[in-house]
Amino acid sequence: MKHSFIDKYGNLESPLHRLDPRIKLAGAFSFIFIIVSEPRGVVCPFIFYSLIIAGLLLISRIPPRFVFSRCLIVSPFILISAIFFPLSAMLSGDFQGFSAYQEEYRSALTIVLKAFSSIILLTLLISTEKFHNLLMALRKLKMPRLLGIISALMYRYIFILTDEAMRTTMARDSRTPGRLNMSKFKVYGNQSAMIFLRSMDRSQIIYNSMLSRGFTGEFPVMQKFPLKGKDFIFPVIFIFILLAIRLTNSDIYCFIF
Amino acid sequence: MHISDGIIDANISIVANVVSVGLIYVSGKNTSVQEIPKMGMMGAALFIASLIHFPMAGTSVHLGLFGIAGIILGKRAFPAVFTAVLFQSLIFQHGGLFSVGINSLNMGAGAFAAWMAWRMKILPDPVRAVLAGLLGVLIPVLLMSVEFQLSGYGRGILYLFSVYLVVAVIEGAISFSAVRFMQKVKPELLT
Repeated sequence: MKHSFIDKYGNLESPLHRLDPRIKLAGAFSFIFIIVSEPRGVVCPFIFYSLIIAGLLLISRIPPRFVFSRCLIVSPFILISAIFFPLSAMLSGDFQGFSAYQEEYRSALTIVLKAFSSIILLTLLISTEKFHNLLMALRKLKMPRLLGIISALMYRYIFILTDEAMRTTMARDSRTPGRLNMSKFKVYGNQSAMIFLRSMDRSQIIYNSMLSRGFTGEFPVMQKFPLKGKDFIFPVIFIFILLAIRLTNSDIYCFIF
Repeated sequence: MHISDGIIDANISIVANVVSVGLIYVSGKNTSVQEIPKMGMMGAALFIASLIHFPMAGTSVHLGLFGIAGIILGKRAFPAVFTAVLFQSLIFQHGGLFSVGINSLNMGAGAFAAWMAWRMKILPDPVRAVLAGLLGVLIPVLLMSVEFQLSGYGRGILYLFSVYLVVAVIEGAISFSAVRFMQKVKPELLT
């Protein structure tokens, strides 16, 4: 069965898609780190970060609606966390009027800005590369060997589990047309356990056949990703600009705008 | 339940990432060939379970299955939990990339507590199974509360976490039925 819920836009053509996955991964991680390390209450540098992110989004050709939908899914937890920041301050101690909590409002705003900037960057990362190439990049960037094997197997097992779920649902529907007379909890509980056990059996068979073909924990890849000196020019300039924004006094940005 | 980037203090996230890498090495030491596909499949199951959301108290929650992960994988649960959290972060942005460490530690602690509960052989099997499911949710929520307190959030955020008490009860029930089913069909899976 065909599933394309993981890297839907990985096949698009853009300069970001053409970048080496290792550079993209390291770049995204550095960008997120720089954003997250901004002190609470500092808002002005986010004007620049947002412009850079918007620029990257434009270059990548990823539909903004898709990025927006990703932000929307995770927004409740972020917004609730941010709202609780000033709310908790209001509830603890004497309430001094809404205007007395300017610092808390600014902190809540930075929480929202940091979280959504990182989510958009992550969406860009996953949408500009095939997922298996990102996993390969993680392995090349010296991810612990055990994690490398587990992640490679897991990527395949996700589809096995999804396939088994579809098959057992089809089988259940064909045996019990209409409404269920039995307890739903029992039927769905048993079905979930059955999916898991069947997938477990299949995963064991697949793994045994991999071992019998000489699998030693390494995943040979046909596609080569040679890194040349010129591949580093763009990321180095990019990180340099971000660091310059991060390390400059933030009051200057507020003054500019 | 996944912490996005920028929500928790950056210093806590850095420490959590370093501790997580250490734990991967410690818990993955001397892993046998038979254990690897089990870890991969459990990681995939954790990932798929997180996609099934249900609405609760104005927000949406999903199953974790960390209790079952602890029962099946025991001390090997942490690398599987870490990989599942990494996948959730990369593929669906549930939890930040920089926060993979803190999210894995929270959920890995849940799986570890569940394993400890499952090892208490003096208790009857159904009690151990329910306890494992409950702890698989409650321990991560408890740790999250501490992390939010350390990051300057007031006590108000704790009310939000009380939603997870209901999830813990559901996880306890699922853990109970899953263990009963596995004892009937494939008892060798239970450590």
